[in-house]
Amino acid sequence: MIELKHISKWVTIGGKPNFILKDVNATVNEGEFLSIMGPSGSGKSTLLNVIGMLDEFNEGEYRFFHEEVHKMKEKQRSNLYKQYIGFVFQAYHLIDELTVYENIETPLIYQDVKSSERKAMVADILDRFNIVGKKDLFPTQLSGGQQQLVGIARALIARPKLILADEPTGNLNSKQGEEIMNLFKQLNDEGVTIIQVTHSEKNAAYGKRIIHLLDGRIEREE
Amino acid sequence: MLQTFLKTALRNLLKNKKHALLNVLGLSVALAACIIVFLVIRYETSYDKHLKNYKNIYEVVTKDIDESGENYTVGIPFPAIKFLRQDFPQYQFAQIMVNYGGQVTARAEGQPVGKKFYERTGTFYAEPAAAKMFELKFLSGDEKVLDDVNSVALSQSTAEKYFGNWKDAVGKRINTDNAQYDLQVAAIFEDVPENSDFPFKIISSYKGFETHNEAGWPLDDWGANSSNHQIYMVIPPGANTATFEQYLTQFEKKYNKNNIDAKRTHFLQPLSNIHFDDRLSNNGQHITTKRSLYTLAFVGLLVILMACINFINLSTALAVTRSKEVGIRKVMGSSRTQLRVQVFFETALVVGSAACIALIISYIALPYVKNVFAAQGKLNLFTIDSLLFLLVITLVTIFLSGVYPAFIMGKFKPVEAIKNKINTSRVGSISLRRALVVLQFAFSQIFIIATVIAVSQMNFIRNADLGFTKEAILTIQMNADSVTRSRLNAFKDELLKRNDVKQVSFSFDAPSSQNSWASNFAFDKMEDKKFSVNLKMADENYIKTYDLKLAAGRFYNMSDTAREYVVNETLVKKCGFNNPKDALGKMLRLGGRRPMEVVGVVKDFKQQSLREAVLPIAIYPSKRWYQTAGIKLSTNNLVKSNTEIQQLWDKTFPEYVYQSSFLDDNINEYYQQEQRLSLMYKIYAALAIFISCLGLYGLISFMVVQKTKEVGIRKVLGASVQSIMYLFSKEFTVLIAIAFVLAAPAAWYLMHSWLKDFAYRIEIGAGVFAIAIAVSVIIAWITVGYKSLRAALANPVKSLRTE
Repeated sequence: MIELKHISKWVTIGGKPNFILKDVNATVNEGEFLSIMGPSGSGKSTLLNVIGMLDEFNEGEYRFFHEEVHKMKEKQRSNLYKQYIGFVFQAYHLIDELTVYENIETPLIYQDVKSSERKAMVADILDRFNIVGKKDLFPTQLSGGQQQLVGIARALIARPKLILADEPTGNLNSKQGEEIMNLFKQLNDEGVTIIQVTHSEKNAAYGKRIIHLLDGRIEREE
Repeated sequence: MLQTFLKTALRNLLKNKKHALLNVLGLSVALAACIIVFLVIRYETSYDKHLKNYKNIYEVVTKDIDESGENYTVGIPFPAIKFLRQDFPQYQFAQIMVNYGGQVTARAEGQPVGKKFYERTGTFYAEPAAAKMFELKFLSGDEKVLDDVNSVALSQSTAEKYFGNWKDAVGKRINTDNAQYDLQVAAIFEDVPENSDFPFKIISSYKGFETHNEAGWPLDDWGANSSNHQIYMVIPPGANTATFEQYLTQFEKKYNKNNIDAKRTHFLQPLSNIHFDDRLSNNGQHITTKRSLYTLAFVGLLVILMACINFINLSTALAVTRSKEVGIRKVMGSSRTQLRVQVFFETALVVGSAACIALIISYIALPYVKNVFAAQGKLNLFTIDSLLFLLVITLVTIFLSGVYPAFIMGKFKPVEAIKNKINTSRVGSISLRRALVVLQFAFSQIFIIATVIAVSQMNFIRNADLGFTKEAILTIQMNADSVTRSRLNAFKDELLKRNDVKQVSFSFDAPSSQNSWASNFAFDKMEDKKFSVNLKMADENYIKTYDLKLAAGRFYNMSDTAREYVVNETLVKKCGFNNPKDALGKMLRLGGRRPMEVVGVVKDFKQQSLREAVLPIAIYPSKRWYQTAGIKLSTNNLVKSNTEIQQLWDKTFPEYVYQSSFLDDNINEYYQQEQRLSLMYKIYAALAIFISCLGLYGLISFMVVQKTKEVGIRKVLGASVQSIMYLFSKEFTVLIAIAFVLAAPAAWYLMHSWLKDFAYRIEIGAGVFAIAIAVSVIIAWITVGYKSLRAALANPVKSLRTE
């Protein structure tokens, strides 16, 4: 599904390149649950953003379902990730001005899904996540765990093949975190590919494979 | 999609109520100003367009060249029409004679005199061709009645004023200026629209004017040329005007034997120019130059531009706080275009509501517009073209204000946006915003400087020493006919019996008046001077009534005709004498008259508005021309005196209408245009200051956001509230200083050229500029103060906490 070859990314500071990612090679197959670990500044989030096509890289090749991402224009890339990828963030990143219902609906609007179809899909997922009663509330009226639930619902609404999660439990207490991780596991069992970035050994263990990053390189895999 | 845009837009606006309010407020005021400017310009450019033949009507006008330069007049010598018609029979010509102000008496059964009215404008003598050319719509009769020397046509409202009902008016008699003969109302026409330079109210037969000619106009004389006598013509489309223009330049050479060196030529003035060409007069209320309309349009544009700048400043400042939303939407799959459309949509919402409010504001302001602009007619707000204009200007404003913020927001990189890495420095450069604010401040300072200068010039004029007394002098317009003359002395005796009357003088006009009568002259037995002398015919009390001061010699004694002359200092100087005394005893010859001795020299007084320099003047008695009574009053109740003097007048001159005014009011009228202009400056200065304050507020909000972290760090390091306030105000004071450097020369240039129109004017001192900069600095500090105080007082722990 994902094939990264010799991916490097750097910023130039004072004339010298400062590597954020250096010669990263990785392959992710469909149905995997991959955890990326590493200390602060090791390039975990950048790698995730590169995979999610939100960030660009300076060198290397990236194939997504055999399509050459590194040769694409921004518009093609965004069409690609719109179709296949859902994002979950540490800080949830819900739009404060929209209700729970509207937040979940947003990706469908951008994919030109018809209104009646949207209604059915959103109702479906609200039901599945047990948050039907919260649909008219605004994000600020929810607890962190509930907000992340909405975040995941929003990531799933367009039925993506891949979920990218950047420290999804980072802002949650342990009980809420556990619930979210169980949800991820369940999703993975249903066939959704998941890549998560995490600090916590315990959460990383939910994954079937762990990549350790240090200073922009893959230090080891387990 | 639009539905969600609308929802987010509304919620965003509600969330940032203050910003939305500032935006809507600034924009609606600016849009209202724009609409009003549009209405005024549309009205001014609509003059005479109701005529179907608008494009084909021309006025034949005159250009005279003499030592003082080129002089233009709408007048044409009386004999001209005969030759025009003879040489160009294929064209249609029409001549009219304008009567500037006069009495009309509506005869009524059983009343010895009738109802008396005074008509300032609208009285004409015209040929039937003129009524046809200016497309009068007759309700009764037709233009052929103007062939009858004793017939008159009235406009509907005039007929109603005189006789109650226009249908009753037909067949009734009126009398103009107490002429020996009455005129019979033979036709009624529909009122001419307000936006016409030909405000026909009373039209008598031109043939009648020639037949009766009571005023003794020189009908066979090429030399005399009065602006009252005008010729209009129709040149059909397709005909070559050039050949006719060529013919006009040679016209006087050919027919006027006295004009051999062709000092006087003629040319065509298209009807479409008559309302705008200030070289010439027109028969309407005013002339509006194209230049002043452009200025007005420019000012309107400036105001809208300033409001757009505010919008851009405020919404890009807000963009920072919205970067997260933008980032999320992008990650969710929104394209740049969709995001930009969304931002545009929000802009449209704000500008649209501003436009609605603007409509209300301009509706309320409309009745006051005539105090500021020359357009006195009814301005109509709710017409298709003004609403269309509002739509267009709204769309343009949406575009101007929306395009930059939309561009900026669309450009956000999603990863940075959601990680709150978008800070103010990424949202367009701060220097752009600074430049915009400098621009706004420069505009408002120009307005402030212009206002201060215009107001002080007006004060200067009001308090200027005119060389005579203008206060508490009642002037009465009289008819210079034999009946009036015979009763003048009796009237004067009655007046002088009153305690409140100090002096009475009869004269051609007051020392300062818009009439002028000039003549060529010779001084001290030399040849005719190259310049002319202005004539003031007045009785021996003139000097005492108006408090003129003698520079040498004495004033002349009582006489009905000229035996001696009094001249002014300017004449003496222009004739080469340094000392007024030297002019005494010299002989002065006016035109072809008998030379007479100069017995006195009066100190210069301003004989016209202060725009004009003092001209050479000769004063002498000539009872035949007295048409103004000047009455010097000494009372605290001028109104009561005026009423009682009217009773006296009605007793002495029962058949004459009482037409009085106070001299200082008359003089103020010269400056109506300037008064309006200075009022307009005041309004636009206030508007500019208001809008630039909003802009400043936007900028300070923006900078406070930007500097939150800096302020936090400084406070942790021990900075005081004052030092942080200083940090902010220093910046703005510098911006104002830069704006001032731009504004001062521009304003100086602008007002210097405005003041050049006045022969008597104030000097532009440093004080004016000091006021401008002080006002802007104080206003800026007040605007900035609150926000920067809040920033300075904020808890640094909050501002330094990262995510």
